[in-house]
Amino acid sequence: MNGDPYSILGVSSNASDEEIKKAYRDLARKYHPDNYHDNPLAHLAQEKMKEINEAYDAIQRMRGASGGASGQYNNSSSGSYRSSSPAWAARVRAAINSGDLSGAEQMLNSAPERNAEWYFLMGSLYYRKGWLDDARQYYQTAVNMEPNNSEYRQALNFMQRGGNYYSPYDYDRSNNNGMDACNCCGNLLLADCCCECLGGDLISCC
Amino acid sequence: MYGYVRPCKGELKVREYELFKARYCGLCHALKKGYGPFARFLVNYDFTFLSMLLQSPEESEQICSKRCPVSPFRKKSCCVQTEALSAAADGSVLLGWWKLRDSASDKGFFRGIPYRTAALLFTPAMRRAAKRRPELSSKIKDLLDELGGIENSQLASLDAPADCFGRLLSSFSVFVSADDAAPLGQLLYHIGRWVYIIDALDDIEEDAGSGSYNPLILRFKADKSGLSEEDRQYVSVTLKHSAAIAAAAFELMKKNEWTSILSNIIYLGLPETAERVFAGTWDANKKEK
Repeated sequence: MNGDPYSILGVSSNASDEEIKKAYRDLARKYHPDNYHDNPLAHLAQEKMKEINEAYDAIQRMRGASGGASGQYNNSSSGSYRSSSPAWAARVRAAINSGDLSGAEQMLNSAPERNAEWYFLMGSLYYRKGWLDDARQYYQTAVNMEPNNSEYRQALNFMQRGGNYYSPYDYDRSNNNGMDACNCCGNLLLADCCCECLGGDLISCC
Repeated sequence: MYGYVRPCKGELKVREYELFKARYCGLCHALKKGYGPFARFLVNYDFTFLSMLLQSPEESEQICSKRCPVSPFRKKSCCVQTEALSAAADGSVLLGWWKLRDSASDKGFFRGIPYRTAALLFTPAMRRAAKRRPELSSKIKDLLDELGGIENSQLASLDAPADCFGRLLSSFSVFVSADDAAPLGQLLYHIGRWVYIIDALDDIEEDAGSGSYNPLILRFKADKSGLSEEDRQYVSVTLKHSAAIAAAAFELMKKNEWTSILSNIIYLGLPETAERVFAGTWDANKKEK
């Protein structure tokens, strides 16, 4: 970990424990492995996560707090491997994971069969290339061919959601006049008044 | 193609809004300085965005006051020339010139005349830019040729043409340090993909009417009435996905003075533009500055 743990978390050295926890949580949400799923930059995010965890742990130790809450964001999401994968498929997976996309593409073009796994791996390859539409179509075909395969279904669901969307702007900025608690309460009171004017009583205690 | 990547004005701090305008003015001045007064017409929000991404954190930002033909009586705040602004100006000229050439050939003889005239006027500027950035210029030309080939072949693919444009924009990542090049390359690729698809969506009715190439029409077999609700949802998801990948890449870049404005553009500006394009209110919005 390079540098001051407080500046890594983006807080001042006399920040409260609550502020530090919040800063840690916000950063962990930002660099969570799920946001870098199947992403060639995932290792950079992992390094950042490591740095953030170390900074948080260091601050906890300095402040004498018991144990660190970090570590809960440590799990990296790695794909599940089918033990019955043919050898060519295993080689393609290795190529894709190491970033050798042209190698993977060549192997897929000369693959002995075009089964569900072939379509899934094509989807994976195209996702890495950034061809999100083609990737989704390949995953769809894989799921159609093998509907019970959870790996393929997870990949398709991921595409159907549009990936994992993190935003630092969490508050509701919409101008919709939705029914929130104030509106609801106010409307009920109004309804009660009208009801009483007409001789009834909607809410007996008002 | 231009103007889709812009901040969500309502969520910018006043200080940030003033800074953004100063950057836009900075790009305009960089264009004038490098390419003469007519090149100012090539100023756009997208390359302003690019110039902020390319800004080295080590270089300190300075603002000066300059005269402006659009505002003749009041001087405007303007960012002092930096390498990043210069690169963005070069990019604006190169991409602008090739796009004019493309439009000229797309529109046919008579309707292409204004585009051909503009391209002719900008040819000396283009040559100067190509001399300054020979690799970038030849890469842009090659990718636009490739894109033209895909468009002429009427391929029913959304990703193939979008990929060309993504790679084109991604080539600007050579202007940053080695640490930032990979995340910036991915960010620009997906912003390029996003812009290409949004532009196709914006033009879908016009293209359906005139029979022009449009990847969405070919991919979803759409007609003059546009995309079906299901297909619109599909396109919305893929746009959000590209924006999400671009955002994740952005978070891996080194912070600089423009980070908060860039954040606004990526997390708020892009969705706002997409919403307006989907609602069909984009053109009306463009007129407000």
